[in-house]
Amino acid sequence: MDTVSALRRWWSGLEAGRREARQEIDFWRLQALFNNFKRILLLNNAVLEDMAKMERALGGEYIFDRAFLESSVSGIANRVHHVVYSLNALTGNHHVALYDRYQDIRTLLDDILANNIQALADEAVLPLRAIGWEHEPLVGMDLVCLAALSASAQITPVDGLAVTQDGIRALDPSDLGDAGNGKGQRLAETRAVLREHLRRLVKVHPGVPVAVVVSRVDEDEESLQEAGSFLLNVDQERREASLACEDSRGQTAERIILADREIHRAEEGEGENDAAELLLHGLERIARIVGRKTETDGPQRVNYAFFVHPQPSSLLAGTIYTRPLSSNPFAAEDGLVAEVVPLHGAPGDYFLLRRTHPFELIRSLIQIHPAGHRFADGRLASADSTEQPHLSRGSASVEPGLLRGLAETAMLLERIFGAPLEVRWQLWNDGACRITRLRPLVCEVAPDLAAAAEESGETTIICQGGQTGQSGVGAGPVVHVDEAMDPKTFPPGAVAVARFASPNLTPVLQRAAALITEFGSAAGHLATVARELRLPSIFGLPGALGLLPAGTEVTVNGGETTVYRGIVETMLRFGATDMELTPQDREYRMLRRLLRFIQPLHLVDPKTQEFAPENCQSFHDIIHFCHEQAVEELAHFQERWPDLGTMRTRPLELDVPLDIQVLDIGGGVLPEADFRLRPGQIESVPFAAFLTGLTDPRARNPDAPSLGLRDILASMPRSMGLLTTPVDTLGGNLAIVGSEYLNLSLRMGYHFNVIDAYLGEDVSRNYVYFRFVGGLADPERRGWRARFIAKVLATMEFKTSIEGDLVVARLKLTEPDLLRAALLALGALTTFVRQQDTNMHSEADLARWYATFAPSFLATFGEQGIREAGDEVH
Amino acid sequence: MTVTNDAATPLRILILDDEPIVCKRLKPAFQKLGHTVETFTDSGQALARLREAVFDIVVTDLKMEGADGIQVLNGAKASSPETQVIVITGFATLETAKESYRKGAFDFVAKPFKLRDILDCVKRIEDRRRGLPAEPGQ
Repeated sequence: MDTVSALRRWWSGLEAGRREARQEIDFWRLQALFNNFKRILLLNNAVLEDMAKMERALGGEYIFDRAFLESSVSGIANRVHHVVYSLNALTGNHHVALYDRYQDIRTLLDDILANNIQALADEAVLPLRAIGWEHEPLVGMDLVCLAALSASAQITPVDGLAVTQDGIRALDPSDLGDAGNGKGQRLAETRAVLREHLRRLVKVHPGVPVAVVVSRVDEDEESLQEAGSFLLNVDQERREASLACEDSRGQTAERIILADREIHRAEEGEGENDAAELLLHGLERIARIVGRKTETDGPQRVNYAFFVHPQPSSLLAGTIYTRPLSSNPFAAEDGLVAEVVPLHGAPGDYFLLRRTHPFELIRSLIQIHPAGHRFADGRLASADSTEQPHLSRGSASVEPGLLRGLAETAMLLERIFGAPLEVRWQLWNDGACRITRLRPLVCEVAPDLAAAAEESGETTIICQGGQTGQSGVGAGPVVHVDEAMDPKTFPPGAVAVARFASPNLTPVLQRAAALITEFGSAAGHLATVARELRLPSIFGLPGALGLLPAGTEVTVNGGETTVYRGIVETMLRFGATDMELTPQDREYRMLRRLLRFIQPLHLVDPKTQEFAPENCQSFHDIIHFCHEQAVEELAHFQERWPDLGTMRTRPLELDVPLDIQVLDIGGGVLPEADFRLRPGQIESVPFAAFLTGLTDPRARNPDAPSLGLRDILASMPRSMGLLTTPVDTLGGNLAIVGSEYLNLSLRMGYHFNVIDAYLGEDVSRNYVYFRFVGGLADPERRGWRARFIAKVLATMEFKTSIEGDLVVARLKLTEPDLLRAALLALGALTTFVRQQDTNMHSEADLARWYATFAPSFLATFGEQGIREAGDEVH
Repeated sequence: MTVTNDAATPLRILILDDEPIVCKRLKPAFQKLGHTVETFTDSGQALARLREAVFDIVVTDLKMEGADGIQVLNGAKASSPETQVIVITGFATLETAKESYRKGAFDFVAKPFKLRDILDCVKRIEDRRRGLPAEPGQ
C-alpha cells in the first residue's frame, strides 16, 4: 500500500467519522427538541389536573386549609414556568414575552395569598358588571354577589359602579398616601375614569339623583358594614348639586349644597357632561367625609368602598329577608319574608313566602290603606269595593308575580352569598324591579342539629351515588331536561335532572335549585358552572332519570350525593350551616380569587391577533398558548429545519407507490427492524393507524384520473415553483415517529400534507393537527377538493378552516379508539384525494366522493353512541 | 330505603387544627351524627384539656406551632390508651405516616380530604368499639 492510498483511506475515514458525528449531534438535538414538546404536553396535563383539583375544592366536598392553597399555587406556578421555558427551548426563544406575563400573574397570586389587597389596587373604579371575585377585598362581597346576579337572575341588580378604597383615597385631598408620591397623577386618573362612568350613567338615567352607599370592606373582619349613604342631586339647570346624607332608614339627615359654579365654568361642558362633573365633585366631597371618618377609626386602617347608582323616585321599595326575624310578624314560621313599603310613609305590607318552588304565598299582613292611596300601577284605592273589587283599601301593594320573582332572586342570592340575607329592592317608574343592596342577616335561631339529625333519620332515600359537583342542599319538583329544552321554560327553583352533563344546560342551572345528571363527571365543564353558581349538584348518578320521575318533590344533598323523597325542611335549613364551605369562609374567598388568575381561558382562537403572550390573563391562557404554539412549531417543523433531510432516515417499503423516509425518535419502530422498514415493524401507534388507512385498497379508485391540459396549465406556476425548488429543501416524504407521536410531511404529486399527532391512553394529551394544500388541478377543482376534505374532517368532529385550497384542522382531547379511527381515515383520505384530485368535474362530484368514501372509513363517527359531550375541557 | 341514624352511642371527640376552617367544618359534621365535639386551634390548650378529660376520638393536625401532632398523639394515649387518634396533615410523607402509625395512630389522612373519609374513619372506630368486624377493604 502506498502512502497516498493510506492517506486517502485515513482522510475518507476521518470524513466519514465527522459525518457520523454531525449526524449524531443533529439527531440528539432533534430529540431534545421533541422532548421539549413532550414535556409541554405532560406539564400542560399536570397543570390542568392541578387546576381541576383546586377548582373542585370550591364545591365543598373537600376539607382544606390555607396550606393547600399555598402548595397548589406553588406547584401550578412552577409547572407553568417550566412550560414557558420548554416552549422557548423548542422555538429558539421566540416567546420570551411569556416570562413577563408569567411573572405578573405569579405576583398577583402571591399577593392574594399574602392578603395584600394592593394586588389589584389600580382598579379605582369598577362598573358593577365588571366586578368579579378577585375584587372582593376591594368592594365587598355584597357587590360581588350583586354582580353575579346580572347574569342569572330574573330581577336584575341596579346599574351602578364601585369606587374602591384606592379611588376614595385618590379623591380625598387630605389623604397624602405614601408620602404623597404621585398623588396628583392618581387624582387625575381617577377623576378621568369616574367622569367617563358618570357621563354614561347620566346619559342612561338623565335628571336622576345618584345614591352613594359607603361600606366597610375589611378582609377578615365583619364585612358589609354600611358606614353611611348619600344622595347626590343635580338641579335642573345643572348649576349646583345637593348632597344629602341619609340615615339607615333612607331619610335625610344632613343636606349640603355644592354650589360649584367654578367647576361648571371651567369645564364649559354641556348637558350630561355638566351633570357628571357636578356628581364627580359630590363624590370627592363624600371621599373627604369618609377620609375624616377614617382618621377617627383608630390605628387599625379601615377600608371603605362606594357603590354609586341612579336613584329615581320609585313606585315601591322593600326588603326581602331570606329567614324570618323576631322583628317581623311571621317570626315563628319558616319562609321568606317580604316587606313592601309604599311611598309617602304609608304603613308597609308583609308577606311570608315558601323558600322552595313555586315560592307561593303562605301568609300575608296587608295594611288598610287610606282612601285615595295610589297603588304602584297608578290606580287609587277606593272605599267602594264594588267599583274596583281588586283595589280596595285593603289590597296588597304588590302583585303575586313580583313577590315570586323577588323570592326566587333572594334565594339565588342567599345561595351565592352562602348565608341568610336582607335583600333590598325597588320598583321604578319604568315598571322594572331592581335589587339595590344586600346585607347579611344575623339569624337569631341557630340551626337545630339534633332535629336535623333526627329528621334525616326518618327520611326516605330515593337514590344515592355519583360524584359531588357542589355540596349543599336544594329541593323542589323534578324536571327532566335536555339540550333541546328552551331554558326559559324551566320553572325557577325546580330540580333539573338530565342524562348528560352537556355544557348547553348552563342556562338551566341559572334557574334550578339543584342538578342531577346520569352521566358526566364532577371535573367537567357543567360541574364548574354549578360550582360557580354554588348549585347543589350530583354528577353520574346511575339511573337518575328513571328513579326520579318528573314532578316528584325531592331534596338533593349534593355533599352526600343523596336524593331524598319530599321536601326535607330541616335539611334545607341545615344546608346553610358551618359544615358547608361558603363565601363566608376566608379560604373559600381566597380560593375563588386565586382561581380567577389561574383557571379562566380567555385566549381561545389561535387565528386572531389577540392570541398573543401579552393578552394572557391566567395560567390557563399561558399553557394553552404554549400548547398551540408548540403544535404549530412541529406542524411546520420540517420546513423550518430543512437540514433534517441530511439525517440518517430509513426507507419504508409500502405496497403503494409512495416513498416515505422514517426517522425514529424513540419507540417508533421495532428495535430489531431491518434498515428497510416494513409496515409491520412500525411501533408508532399514530403512524401505524395512518398507514393502515393509507394502504387500504378501498381508498384506491380503479378509474384512472383524467388530467386535462387545463389542469396542467393552471398549475404551471405552482408546479414549476415546486419543481425548481432544490431537492434538499423540497424534501421527500418524511415521518418523524415516536411510540405515541407522528409528524408526517407528504408531498404526493403536488399535494403538500402535514399530519402532526399524539395518540396515547391519556385523552387529555391526544390530538391531531392536519394541513393539506396544493394539487394539480384548476382553482375551482381545488376548491371542491378542499370542501370535500373539510366535510370528511367535520364528520370526525375536527375543528376545520378553509382558505382557498388550504385546509387546516385540529382534533383534541379524543378517546384513543376514536383518534385511531380518525388517523386511519386520514390515511385513506390521503390516498383517495391524491387519486381523485383531477377527477372532479362538477359540484355534484363532491357529494359523490363523500358517498363513496364515508361508508368505508367514517362509519365509526356515525355511530359514536353515548359520548359525554359535557366533559370537554377546552 | 329508609335511613337510620347509626350513631348508637354518642362519642366524645376532640378536634385540634391550627387552621380554624378545619375545626369549623368538622365540628357540625360530627354533631349531626349525635357526637359531642370540642375544638382547639392551640395544641397546648388541647393537651391541657386531654389531661383533664377523656375523649373517645382525637382528630389532630400534624404540623403546628408549639406541640406537634405526634406530641398530641402521645398525650392522648398517655391520658387514655383507649383514645383513638386520627392524624390529618397537609404535609403527608411516607415517613410521617409510618411514625404516626408506630406511635399508635388509628389512621392517617392527607389534606385535603373528603369529609366522608373522616366520617368513615370514625365509623370504623365505632364498629371496632362495638366489636364488629372491619368492612372489606379496610
